[in-house]
Amino acid sequence: MDQQFDASKMGMWLFLITEILLFSGMFVAYAVYRSWHPEAFQAVSGALDWRLGGINTLVLLASSFTVALSIHHVQNDNRRALVINLLLTIAFAGVFMFIKYLEYSGKFAHGVFPGANYAPHGEHYGHYADIPYAAQFFSIYFVMTGIHGVHVLVGMGIFAWIVVRALRGDFSSAYYTPVELTGLYWHLVDIIWIFLFPLLYLI
Amino acid sequence: MIHEEHAHHVTPRRTLINVFGGLIVLTIVTVMTSRIELGPLNVPLALTIACAKAGLVVWIFMALKWDNRVNGIVFALGVLFLAVFLSFTLMDTLYRGDLSNVERSTVSDMEREEAARSGGDTGEGNADAASEH
Repeated sequence: MDQQFDASKMGMWLFLITEILLFSGMFVAYAVYRSWHPEAFQAVSGALDWRLGGINTLVLLASSFTVALSIHHVQNDNRRALVINLLLTIAFAGVFMFIKYLEYSGKFAHGVFPGANYAPHGEHYGHYADIPYAAQFFSIYFVMTGIHGVHVLVGMGIFAWIVVRALRGDFSSAYYTPVELTGLYWHLVDIIWIFLFPLLYLI
Repeated sequence: MIHEEHAHHVTPRRTLINVFGGLIVLTIVTVMTSRIELGPLNVPLALTIACAKAGLVVWIFMALKWDNRVNGIVFALGVLFLAVFLSFTLMDTLYRGDLSNVERSTVSDMEREEAARSGGDTGEGNADAASEH
């Protein structure tokens, strides 16, 4: 049984490096455009509210903490604590998505869309229309946080299923592989954001 | 049949709490140092702190510290290929046209300065970006 657990974990780590490489494509695009137009990127990064980004960072870090706790608890056969921490994880993820929804609506309301519909206007956004390559920054922002957001939603869905199984009594210290694997996935989602936050919001 | 049941490592709650605290502190440091003007140091500093945070998550939360070495090797390979991807791409994009270039700056930098000088007043644009780069 242990060999299966080890094999499953290795399989998940292999999947995780494909995810790292998926996001790498976008990080490299960011690096190339930033290196070509550093002033534009610096001028525009003020459009993203670092306080909202910062709160989201803390929220995701907390969700990684509750995931690690849930593993700890299932290893100690504490089903109640396992479920509570899984639910907390989902809750934190929900907060993250809600804040992203607030951010996106703010952008859309001021005409900041990815791609061809980019038309910034209004109080804090009007001047972005005059900065060349600002649109590229926003496109990269939307694609990177968008795909990251999809990963958060998928994670929430999988965790919901894990909660159902946990309530059914499927997991114990003898068998908790799905919890472990989903936890590993979730930590990677957190790590991606750990890099996204400074690159998009701070520097 | 003998089956080897070695117990899985259980990370103590205190360790998890300490790591979480460390991550919060590092996040606060990231934000604070980003508001200080450090010139060319801002970006590498932010990335270094981000790497430290990611390292804590990978090592303790994902329990790589207590895991089979093969998983660590898999992760290291992923990071290695990310580094190759990034560095080789930048080696191309930063130095385009430079094989025959005898100026001090790279062709990319010169084009950028040119665009900033002339394109700035005419509001050269976002529409051109696709064709230019």
